[in-house]
Amino acid sequence: MRNVPWPRLGWRNLERHRKRTILTALGLAVGFFACVFIVGWSQGIMNEMVESATSLVNGQVEIHDAEYLPDRTMYDTIGGRGGADIEGLLEIIEQDVAVIAAAPRLYAGGLISSGDATNAGMFMGVDPVREVRLTRFLDELVDGRLPVSGQNEILVGEEMARQLAVAVDDELVIVGSGADGSMANDLFTLVGVFRTGLLDLDATFTVMPIDVLQSFVVLPANRVHEIAVATVDPFGAPTTATRLAGALPEGGSPLEAVSWMELNPALAEYVALGDSVYGIVVAFVFGIAIFGVANSMLMATYERRREFAVMLALGATPRSVWAVVLSEAFTIGLVSLALGAVLTFPLMVWFHNAPPDMSWLYGDLALNGALVRPSLRVEYDFAFAGLTAVSLLVTVVLAALYPALRAGRTPPADTLSGL
Amino acid sequence: MSAAVIEWSGMAKRLIAVLVFGYMVMPSPVVGQTDPAAIMEQVDRLLRGDSSRGVATMEVVTENWERRMTMELWSLGTEYSLVRLRAPQREAGTATLMAEDDIWNYLPKVDRTIKIPSSMMGGSWMGSHFTNDDLVKESQLTEDYVVELAFEGDRDNVAVWEFVLTPKPDAPVFWGRLEYQVRQDDYMPIWTRFYDEDGELSRTMAYSEFEEFDGRLVPALMEMQPIDKPGEKTAIRYEELEFDIGVDENFFSLRNLQDRR
Repeated sequence: MRNVPWPRLGWRNLERHRKRTILTALGLAVGFFACVFIVGWSQGIMNEMVESATSLVNGQVEIHDAEYLPDRTMYDTIGGRGGADIEGLLEIIEQDVAVIAAAPRLYAGGLISSGDATNAGMFMGVDPVREVRLTRFLDELVDGRLPVSGQNEILVGEEMARQLAVAVDDELVIVGSGADGSMANDLFTLVGVFRTGLLDLDATFTVMPIDVLQSFVVLPANRVHEIAVATVDPFGAPTTATRLAGALPEGGSPLEAVSWMELNPALAEYVALGDSVYGIVVAFVFGIAIFGVANSMLMATYERRREFAVMLALGATPRSVWAVVLSEAFTIGLVSLALGAVLTFPLMVWFHNAPPDMSWLYGDLALNGALVRPSLRVEYDFAFAGLTAVSLLVTVVLAALYPALRAGRTPPADTLSGL
Repeated sequence: MSAAVIEWSGMAKRLIAVLVFGYMVMPSPVVGQTDPAAIMEQVDRLLRGDSSRGVATMEVVTENWERRMTMELWSLGTEYSLVRLRAPQREAGTATLMAEDDIWNYLPKVDRTIKIPSSMMGGSWMGSHFTNDDLVKESQLTEDYVVELAFEGDRDNVAVWEFVLTPKPDAPVFWGRLEYQVRQDDYMPIWTRFYDEDGELSRTMAYSEFEEFDGRLVPALMEMQPIDKPGEKTAIRYEELEFDIGVDENFFSLRNLQDRR
């Protein structure tokens, strides 16, 4: 094979028209860059959305009583009306290899009032120590500190604090209803203000110690609505959920472990849609490029009709001519890939590690219940880059097929006689 | 949002509208009158009146719990009302005041009064089956609905009228249709059926135990039955009722709201 001259011939021909070769290769290289970079950026946004949606407030997996969803009634606590050994469940869950943290939660609705201002709100009872290992929204409070178990202390979102015109250390009246139908009301001290960036949450959510909320709504300590779970890989959450469901004890009221993809199908579908669009991006970019390359190759072969005629007259087969043209195209592909890699990967490294922050222009965006910081962060996806490279090479070879066939059919006598 | 948000204001209005005003005007039977609107206006006048004071018990039965509350109610026209819980003991003193468009709740446990904006009156009151629209909106039936006589004759050997009320265009009402059955001899309502905007029966209210209070005949028991929760109900029974009690606007003050007696 080493004696096959066609690649050498192809390369030599390319050298004869360096400018044309470089322009053609640059077009393909830019196509490669566009595909890999745009898809990397899109994946960066997707990852940001998933990361935000699954770690800001929610977990990547939630464990409930099987009856809890979709109505989320106060009475459908884990283990049913009798409750469950919550510490025991947490221990089992945290033994899973993919689990980073787990925390129990209790929810209730009611009114939050200060002075003449009253808002409807959602009370979220949390174990403050466990919760900060699970979610991000309590990591950096706008003001104040986390509530302490056993104390009537509460956090509210920044927007609710604004609407109620309250600040840390102010007193809030909380009103709701107990699980026994009674009217629950008590005084709480505002100890902190959080900000998720999601207006709905910041306007309606409040956070208090889970034991305090249990007492407020007249539920015992072994009754919680949810155990939220953080996992090492958001996209592996369904597998983790299935594994956890198998590990949870049987008996009593059945439990279910649900991944974020089930809880937020709109986001999951959005991500899936993104994945399916990537192939279309490649098809479009190289679909356009194929005509440019074909045009370039047609011109190159037309100019060299006499050369092909001489080859054929000297005994070369049409297949040999095809090989010359296709080798030439393949070589352009390789040059394009080299140029594309030089263009793409340094920029990817830069935009991956130090993405320009565009929030000064757009602010934070809320999409599908997730907070997206509009940065130009791109994700590495070497499998997709490989697919794009193969697509590029296939494109140039396909684009050269017709010019190669035409070149192989050059009539030697007519061409050399000037006809 | 939990159904638990206390809709004191609405409840008070409803209770007063249904339980107190309702008995202010003794209907005067009109022999031979079959004008549906005129008859419904007579029935509706049961829900209107001047000043009154009463005591009622409300029993709420849900899938998860049952509870019974006793409350004292005062009213002045449709603009002022005050409701105070007497029982259960741990909630005694909890009260709601409505004065014109403002609503306050007094919570004795924390000794605080909170003002409720009318935009937050959704959901049920104290877990009962009364909705916000029952409680807050005081629609005058003949003003907001077109009344048609659907049946006139005997039901279970009682001469009754049955009316269908459909909302007038632009009427600020929640229901898609109401149906009333009214006794012909004394204009007492027997039941009301509430249909949603899709024409589905949503709940029924049954009136019974017709008794005289302060010389006026009234249904002492009203039972609300949600159709989608067959085992659940809210029953309101009137125990005391007096009329023309001589209160004025000054009675309906925040100071009186916080009076724990």
